Amino acid sequence: MTSLPPSGFDRLSEPVRKWIWRQGWTSLRDVQEKAIPAILAGGDVVVSARTAAGKTEAAFLPLLTRLAERQTDGFSILYVSPLKALINDQFRRLESLCETCGMLLHKWHGDVAATAKSKARKRPSGIVLITPESLEALLVRRGGEVLRLFGNLDAVVIDELHAFIGTERGMQLQSILNRIEVAAGRDRVDRIGLSATLGDMRFAAEALRPGGGTSVRLVEGIDEGNGLRLQIRGYLRPVPPDEEEEAEAKERPQVPEAVAADLFRFLRGRSNLLFAGSRTNVELYADALRGLCETAQLPNEFFPHHGNLSKAAREEVELRLREDPRPTTAVATTTLELGVDIGDVETVAQIGPGFSVASLRQRLGRSGRRAGKPAVLRIFAIERAAGRGQHPLDRLHLDLVQSIAMVECLADGWCEPPRPAGLHLSTLIHQILAVILQTGGIRPPIAWKLLCERGPFRMIDRGLFADLLRVMASAENRLVEQSPEGLLMIGEAGEKIAESHEFYPVFATEREYRIVHETRTLGTYPLDSTVAYGETIIFAGRRWQVMEVDDRARVIIVRSAKAGKPPYFSGVGGDIHDRIVETMRKVLASHDTPPYLDKIATGLLEEARAAFSGMGLASDSCIAFGNGVLVFPWAGTKKLRTLTLAFQAREFKAGHFGHAVELQDCRPDAVYELLAAMAAAPPPDGMALAMRLVQPPLAKFDGFLSRELMGLVTVSERLEVGALPLLAQKLQSPLSVDLNSSVRDRA
Amino acid sequence: MTTKSPIRPRDRDTIISALRAGVVPRIGLQHIQVGRQREIGALLQDIERIGSGGSSIRFVIGPYGAGKTFFLFLVRQIALQRKLAVCQADLAPDRRIHATGGQARGLYAELVRSLATRTAPDGGALKNILESYIQKTAERAASSGGAIEAAIKEGLGDLREMVGGYDFATVVAAYARGYEEGNDDLQNAALRWLRGEYSTKTEARADLGVRTIIDDAAFYDGLRLLARFTRLAGFGGLLVCLDELVNLYKLQHSQARNQNYEQILRILNDVLQGTTEGIGFILGGTPDTLLDTRRGLYSYEALQSRLAANSFAVNGLADYSGPVVNLPNLTPEELYHLLERLRDVFAAGDPERWLLPDEALHAFMDHCASRIGEAYFRTPRNTVKAFVDLLAIIEQNPGADWRALLGAVDVAEDRGAVADHDIVEGEGDPDDELATLRL
Repeated sequence: MTSLPPSGFDRLSEPVRKWIWRQGWTSLRDVQEKAIPAILAGGDVVVSARTAAGKTEAAFLPLLTRLAERQTDGFSILYVSPLKALINDQFRRLESLCETCGMLLHKWHGDVAATAKSKARKRPSGIVLITPESLEALLVRRGGEVLRLFGNLDAVVIDELHAFIGTERGMQLQSILNRIEVAAGRDRVDRIGLSATLGDMRFAAEALRPGGGTSVRLVEGIDEGNGLRLQIRGYLRPVPPDEEEEAEAKERPQVPEAVAADLFRFLRGRSNLLFAGSRTNVELYADALRGLCETAQLPNEFFPHHGNLSKAAREEVELRLREDPRPTTAVATTTLELGVDIGDVETVAQIGPGFSVASLRQRLGRSGRRAGKPAVLRIFAIERAAGRGQHPLDRLHLDLVQSIAMVECLADGWCEPPRPAGLHLSTLIHQILAVILQTGGIRPPIAWKLLCERGPFRMIDRGLFADLLRVMASAENRLVEQSPEGLLMIGEAGEKIAESHEFYPVFATEREYRIVHETRTLGTYPLDSTVAYGETIIFAGRRWQVMEVDDRARVIIVRSAKAGKPPYFSGVGGDIHDRIVETMRKVLASHDTPPYLDKIATGLLEEARAAFSGMGLASDSCIAFGNGVLVFPWAGTKKLRTLTLAFQAREFKAGHFGHAVELQDCRPDAVYELLAAMAAAPPPDGMALAMRLVQPPLAKFDGFLSRELMGLVTVSERLEVGALPLLAQKLQSPLSVDLNSSVRDRA
Repeated sequence: MTTKSPIRPRDRDTIISALRAGVVPRIGLQHIQVGRQREIGALLQDIERIGSGGSSIRFVIGPYGAGKTFFLFLVRQIALQRKLAVCQADLAPDRRIHATGGQARGLYAELVRSLATRTAPDGGALKNILESYIQKTAERAASSGGAIEAAIKEGLGDLREMVGGYDFATVVAAYARGYEEGNDDLQNAALRWLRGEYSTKTEARADLGVRTIIDDAAFYDGLRLLARFTRLAGFGGLLVCLDELVNLYKLQHSQARNQNYEQILRILNDVLQGTTEGIGFILGGTPDTLLDTRRGLYSYEALQSRLAANSFAVNGLADYSGPVVNLPNLTPEELYHLLERLRDVFAAGDPERWLLPDEALHAFMDHCASRIGEAYFRTPRNTVKAFVDLLAIIEQNPGADWRALLGAVDVAEDRGAVADHDIVEGEGDPDDELATLRL
């Protein structure tokens, strides 16, 4: 301990320096050196660095210095984290620092004893580490105490800021922070965001302070983190010898032996997460791996985790992963990345590409938290070996290509930007109920000012807010009602929702629909995207036409559709961003082999590239196939869906699977003609297109929206009507699009 | 209660400043009371019944600004004159009849703090009541030649029989001991206990040696004990005024609402069956608080059947013996009379100093009626405020012509206490669709 660099260290308060000295640090990390002056100066700051680069201290060392001269009633620092386990970690990490500074430190989440919380509430002081849901519960149940608790708040620290960007939970958190500022009578409270390094840090700045991102100071550390080890592994799905057997095999999907064996080899003996996609797949993989454990006469370490399991069963897995020293692998659907608490794991594996870079980043963030341990991610891409008479989509090995594209985007530091035009009506419904509970009744214009004018729901004008309130108060919803003098109050049905503990989180669990043909249930289908009536979907290896969708019973009624051979790849998943699909095209059109592919994956990529150029996709966007045409717009799901709807509106039999639109009974020149007409015409009416869609309630409270409001949500969040003419124009002359520049422009 | 008597300057100033702020003055109510004779008569009977050891409960129901609070204050003053002890509190989100988070204890504490007697009409009379009891007992002991301490204990015998009465009696005895011995700490601890200010049993046990405290669950039993004790101390009984019942209606959790209504039902049953002694309740609320079958008192089946209006009380026939008293609208004549009285208040009761001629009162009423229609008869609060403002201007600017001023008088429709809750500053533009939104 001879010479610390003079800059940051010297500006810290005496007890903080003493603590650093006692830790035996020889120097401050880069991100800490940079963050100290920025945070000491006051104002909003985003601190970004890799995992385990000392971001937490970068925020808390200067914050505790700021507080050194102040002793006030109420909490001084609010630290919000998406995960309980992270809070427990941070508590251990900050305990001695806070003790040295004479600052109280409180944990506050669902697993913390009520007595500890009420003690903290009675004499509020120091630092609170809390989840957004617990913070919501605190506001809702102790609305009158906000001023006393948070009136003298010095700063809010948001950990894992990148996990909140553009999500329902992010909207909720922004709204909560705004409500705290208002209820505490403060113009603004400094917000410090801790984030992974993103390619465009403006997203993070805007997520930290909606509408004021430009005034947020960005601090970027260049420390080496723990690093990342990543591999994409290719597997061949065995091809059954004859067609009949093939159809059967598709109906009863199986885990390829090689995949199961490798998963067992990589995952056993450690704590891991395996993201397997749909619930059916989760059961399948968990079962296969359990079987391998039994064969090897080892205790089972693989447990399924999805929304269909009972809460107790799920919690048991979470608990075992969090606290049990025995190695455990949770085989999960997307539920586990949405804020369910399972602590940190050693490695993460996933089957297939997933659908967003943001979720990939979150999954990755679950491993490599411990010092010196890199994050480990293995993506298992299962493709069919090349064969005669294959569907063109299968020949492109799109799962693998998409996995590569997503890893490329991740490596660029990119992630999906927040939906700029998102209405977030579901989350707004939640926030209206929460504000009513917090205030004990609020007038509509005040609620609008609070949530929409000052808060994060900037897209909602007074008229739309009034429409939403009317829908919430309707006879079938009865979420709110009004006192004679106009105060909004919780209605009969709203009370049932608000009184449950399930009220506080805003994210929905994944929804799966039963597919019913005549009287037979074919299986379940994760409907996390919209479908149109009459649209063809691929399920269990066959084509089906959607006849009816019952949202309440979660049933899709189908009839079999007569058409050509279906592709194996069905592309079921959430919305994939334009940039990922554009990168896929780049991957297919280029010749370098990424270093993170294994041997089989490399071979598959070569096959895909050969198919890509062989089918003429490098220059054409439409190719004839069977009686119809396949259109490759190389655009994200929203544009793909909009294009499909536009085709359907012109009486084409159209469906979209795996990044392509399939049109039946037509020729490419007819399609080019139609595209020319679309390019010349103004964009079609979005509402008319949206009304053709079945609009499943995707977010938690979507089910309460009227058809009109749901249509607005669909138009603004799930379609891109305005982009249609330009897209159609590009499709006519794909060669004119410079691949490299199109990607760069977007970034 | 005659208007001809001169009005004391203190009363005058208090009345004017309170009315201009839209609140009810604490004193001098008789100067501005008009109408509602039968309702007052009904409450007078209640007061007499309480004074003779009976019990009563009344729900005073009227829309915002109709004068509920005024009425309650008036009844309170009458009760004080009839030697009752009176306590009063507004229900609020943190002051409820039933709760588990300390809100019921909060209401109890507020009530005891406001405890008033004729000699201490502004509250804080708990001490007076305790000392009155000690003195009375001491006199009795002196005349019979017994020990004071034993007499104090003996006098509280009845109290001990009641729910929670043992500790109550112990605390009263502790106060008496502190009083005799000049032990301030002990007296303060006893007062604290009686005011419901202890939040933990351990603390109370250390200070006073009792095992219980008055907590949320003991709200009603605490009041019954207090009522019984006021009688022992020589007062007629206890009148409990709970205003702003609307705050129960506004509770956003159905369970919390129902538990409060259940507690009200318990009180109502006790009173109607005559199992309580020397205690009366007056609860003030808006019509919705009572009638709304979704979340009002009527949403609680058992309350609805007990509080339903007498089905014969129609077409001008009235029943003032039921538990619900509806405050009728002021008639135009009564309103005119009220304006006259306000003019009198300003003139300190001296007709020579009237600021406005009779003609101006008529003109003022016509102006208001054309401005907001018949609604203003129902809610005198804003009318009174506007009129007092007008008088204040004329008083301070003797040259001003009331005719010119009248055109500028603006009486807003009374929207109740809504604006008090706004947590974001500022009123949007008046065309705002949301401001007038009705769902």
